[in-house]
Amino acid sequence: MTDCDASVKAVEQVGPGIFRIVLLAPGTARESLPGQFLMIEASPGPFPLLRRPFTVSSADRAGGTLELLFRVTGGGTGALSRLSRGDSVRVLGPLGRGWPVSDGRWLLVGGGMGAAGFPFLASRLGPHDILLGAGNAASLAWTPPGALLATEDGSAGTKGLVTCLLDRIDPFSYERIAVCGPVAMMRAVVAALPPGVRASTLVSLESRMACGWGVCGGCAVPASGGGFLRCCADGPVFEASELDWDRIEEAAP
Amino acid sequence: MKPELLPVIGPARFRSPILLASGTCGYGLEILEAGALEGAGGLVTKATTLEPREGNRPPRIAETEYGLLNSIGLANPGVEAVIEKVLPRLEGFPCPVIVNVAGDTAGEFAEVVSRLESSGVHCGYELNVSCPNVENGGMAFGVLPRLVEEITRLARSRTARLLSVKLTPNGGDILEAAAAAEAGGADAVTVCNTFLGMKIDWRTGTAALSRGTGGYSSPALLPLVVARVWQVSRRVGIPVIASGGAWTAEAVLELMSAGARAVQVGTRVLRDPFAPARIHAKLLELVSE
Repeated sequence: MTDCDASVKAVEQVGPGIFRIVLLAPGTARESLPGQFLMIEASPGPFPLLRRPFTVSSADRAGGTLELLFRVTGGGTGALSRLSRGDSVRVLGPLGRGWPVSDGRWLLVGGGMGAAGFPFLASRLGPHDILLGAGNAASLAWTPPGALLATEDGSAGTKGLVTCLLDRIDPFSYERIAVCGPVAMMRAVVAALPPGVRASTLVSLESRMACGWGVCGGCAVPASGGGFLRCCADGPVFEASELDWDRIEEAAP
Repeated sequence: MKPELLPVIGPARFRSPILLASGTCGYGLEILEAGALEGAGGLVTKATTLEPREGNRPPRIAETEYGLLNSIGLANPGVEAVIEKVLPRLEGFPCPVIVNVAGDTAGEFAEVVSRLESSGVHCGYELNVSCPNVENGGMAFGVLPRLVEEITRLARSRTARLLSVKLTPNGGDILEAAAAAEAGGADAVTVCNTFLGMKIDWRTGTAALSRGTGGYSSPALLPLVVARVWQVSRRVGIPVIASGGAWTAEAVLELMSAGARAVQVGTRVLRDPFAPARIHAKLLELVSE
């Protein structure tokens, strides 16, 4: 965990309320692993009080840059979207436990902005397939060649939810299945998978976070055995079976 | 004012007047690993209770326009796990460690202190008689001077180490509570815990925190804490440790001007684990002017 001043190389709008930002932060880019996140301070003043967590969308070790994809949802993300080339932001990270990258075949299932971290993961994987869903074509933040798409309004790919793409793949052919998106979407995907593959299914969660580095207990996530896990330090990537989905859905803001 | 930069409080000596506040640095392991303890005079751990506590249901935190609400609920592994698994890892910690202690009864506070005496790692205790986030917990104690005195006296009978009582700004008379802590034998009082707060979405009527209310922290609380530190330090003869609103070195010095012997930094550390070094460096610069 290091805290550095990163210089903004580019900010561009890539969809409705969706932005892509490129930061120069060589040390952090070198250390980051797929699924890890950064806590970003977009404004040097005291407010907003807390940093905001962002998953790393891609990291260029040689060039020393990091890329983030995010949707503007409030003051923190709004401030970040208004930065321009040459501005500087403080970046704490990399934080959390990411995806356990391995050589076998992976399936990536993303819903909406949940796919934001997948470009980085895909770049470090061997063979893999990708299923992506969103409300409409414009909200698909990432559309790599070969990915199967589903949109609720039918403006791209199959009309429907991402779960409707699951019957076009063989779930037993993967070493790992990685799922990231809204809680209800992740839960539906996990439930739609045959019981035999659930053990190899991983999800990446979001939570409100205060610190992001494991000390405050603010990002508690209900665990399947009772009690809580810390989204920031025990996750954000979890085995789907580690989590109590009923209690997670109940607490989702 | 010439502030004391190596404060002594009761039997404990600190490396700087800047302490890390309970709940914002865990048990110190993460911040130790990050190498972020430079500038920190001491560290106050998470609240430790007799039995393990899961903590409250999420959502446990909510940011407001000018502050942070939290309702963690004293989540901790319980005193036995702290003694066996946590404190041994803090052997040789770069700054003094104070264990924050909470309980449901005076006897529980004393029992936790008693058991912790088996470890030589920490220099003292902060009795949390003021947590706003548990049902039958701390805050009821904190507003009743008679109970504050009883809890302090009982804990005092179990330890010769530093004993500070963390007071509540929520209800009751903080001056009476401070006097009661002094009468019970406390070495210091911590002024004060978070302020009871709540955030509601007016469109839906739902509270942002699962328990409704929580503890509010913010740099905007500084004048409220300066006033309480100023009043309490004129009422009691024991040192006052300020807690609340300290975001900058200037704020630390202002709280010391109000009478604080040391100042806890909390929410700022959540945002910036390296803040203690930054604040300390600036503080040294300011006092040498």
